[in-house]
Amino acid sequence: MTRDDALTLHIEEITKDFVGLRALEDVTLHLQRGEILGLIGPNGSGKTTLINVVTGFLKPTRGRVRVGEMDITGWPPHRIAHVGLARTFQTIKLFRGLTVLENVEVAAVSAGLPRHRAREQALWALEQVGATRLATVPAGALPYGEERRVEIARALASRPIFLFLDEPAAGLNEQESDALLEMLLPLPREIGCGVLIVDHDMRLIMRLCHRLHVLNYGRTICEGTPAEVRHNPEVIAAYLGTSRRVLPC
Amino acid sequence: MQRMSYLESFGKWSTGLLLAGPLIVLALVVHLFGGEVLQRILTVLFINLSMVLGLQIFMGNSGVVSFAPIGFMGIGAYASALFSMSPQAKAMALRNLYSWLVPIQVPFVVAVIIGGLMAALVAALVGYPLMRLSGAAAVIATFALLIIVHTVLINWSEVTNGPRTLFGLEAYTTLWVSAATGILFLLLALWFKETPLGLQLRASREDEAAAASVGINIVWVRWVAFVLAAFVTGVAGALWAHFITSFSPLAFYLPQTFLIISMAIIGGSASVSGAVVGAVAVTAIFEGVRGVENAINISAVFPFTVSGLTEVCLSIAMILILIMRPSGILGSRELRL
Repeated sequence: MTRDDALTLHIEEITKDFVGLRALEDVTLHLQRGEILGLIGPNGSGKTTLINVVTGFLKPTRGRVRVGEMDITGWPPHRIAHVGLARTFQTIKLFRGLTVLENVEVAAVSAGLPRHRAREQALWALEQVGATRLATVPAGALPYGEERRVEIARALASRPIFLFLDEPAAGLNEQESDALLEMLLPLPREIGCGVLIVDHDMRLIMRLCHRLHVLNYGRTICEGTPAEVRHNPEVIAAYLGTSRRVLPC
Repeated sequence: MQRMSYLESFGKWSTGLLLAGPLIVLALVVHLFGGEVLQRILTVLFINLSMVLGLQIFMGNSGVVSFAPIGFMGIGAYASALFSMSPQAKAMALRNLYSWLVPIQVPFVVAVIIGGLMAALVAALVGYPLMRLSGAAAVIATFALLIIVHTVLINWSEVTNGPRTLFGLEAYTTLWVSAATGILFLLLALWFKETPLGLQLRASREDEAAAASVGINIVWVRWVAFVLAAFVTGVAGALWAHFITSFSPLAFYLPQTFLIISMAIIGGSASVSGAVVGAVAVTAIFEGVRGVENAINISAVFPFTVSGLTEVCLSIAMILILIMRPSGILGSRELRL
């Protein structure tokens, strides 16, 4: 479980079959530390399934997931978390009966810190997302937008080397989405992690991501910089039909 | 921030004080001024409190309903009896006892700890597969475990005297022994909740997927709590055995199970305060109604004997709580200053 700076996450030729449905087919992508990769695609294109496969919540039918040289394919989620992969969920999953601080602290404790150190790190994570003042509030009493922040703080508290965000901007208005952008932009530099973000908020994705990976019906249709992807005819077709020339953002 | 943490640690200690203080005062008052009956009631109250705390440690923190504890109580009771009884008493009460066990006699405290450890050992062995279950499956599996332990106790006559009563134990458990143990377990339960493992366990109660995603090994943290809880319950069983001094396997079955679970439900099993409040409230209802029942029968108000009033009142109390405050009187809150 060394956290070498040279580590890269390799997702190699992942195929995932559900009963009667191929959710992912031969998807390959690589995520470096310090970069923000956007994973986009129409609904049902397999984005969340890919996150679930990488973080151990689903076992792939074929393919491998490696962190550096370490093969973590098929490991249970808690072991994958210990390697340094953290995630949020599309439908927010907080520990609603615990306080906000406890929610975040438990992630730091689970990364192996003693409780007083875990508390410091949890307060640091809450500061990153601008939620320090919520520390003593029960998580079940939070408004929706704050729930998102706390979930991201919880993912940060273990100081992950790779962070997976599943639709963090869902349900946010333009202003809140801008605040999210401000919050996410400096992360890779500050904690040196690689971020994989899934979202439909193109305004956010285009301004945040260094690179985009586009899925449709479980297959990769293109990968490149935001500018390249916006002009890719296959992407435009998948999103908007064939008549448009460029993706709006 | 440092200031806040001092205040907070005082807050945590204050829970212990607020709960243990009145209990100690109660024990003291009853010890000085109470009669024999009141002393016996309070002794049983503290033993039951220990068992509810065992339930709180596992069920309260993990959210997994367990019907197994009273089985562990039985294991603790019989195991401690085998080590505390004199060779003469064993020869009288357990004619078929394995000969190597007959001469072994250890001090009461050691016997009680052996009782707790035996319960913990059984929990450790059966716990690993069991801890993968939650919800209805856990209820059924732990209920099955209770039945299995009961069946073994009834049929392993070499060490339990079968379905017949085991007698000849010394009454070592005084009010002070049971009160000290109950308060020790109270502090243990408060401490355990706040350990890293206790925090992880409470997180897994709230959301299993999120817990796994932050690196919590749910089966492991549940297993540790299950074994610790079995130890606590086993010790409580050992104390009860040396209070009542003669008992049969029937004592460790459904009525006792429902009594302890009703204490946890009425008080609120998610908090240690709830466990204490539940144990005290249910004992008060139970003993109060029993007194009324006795008075009615003695004064022959009705031409027939009234019985079962305690169970009826307890059931009504439980139904009311489940309707009005499903998470118990205190829910997951702790009393604190």
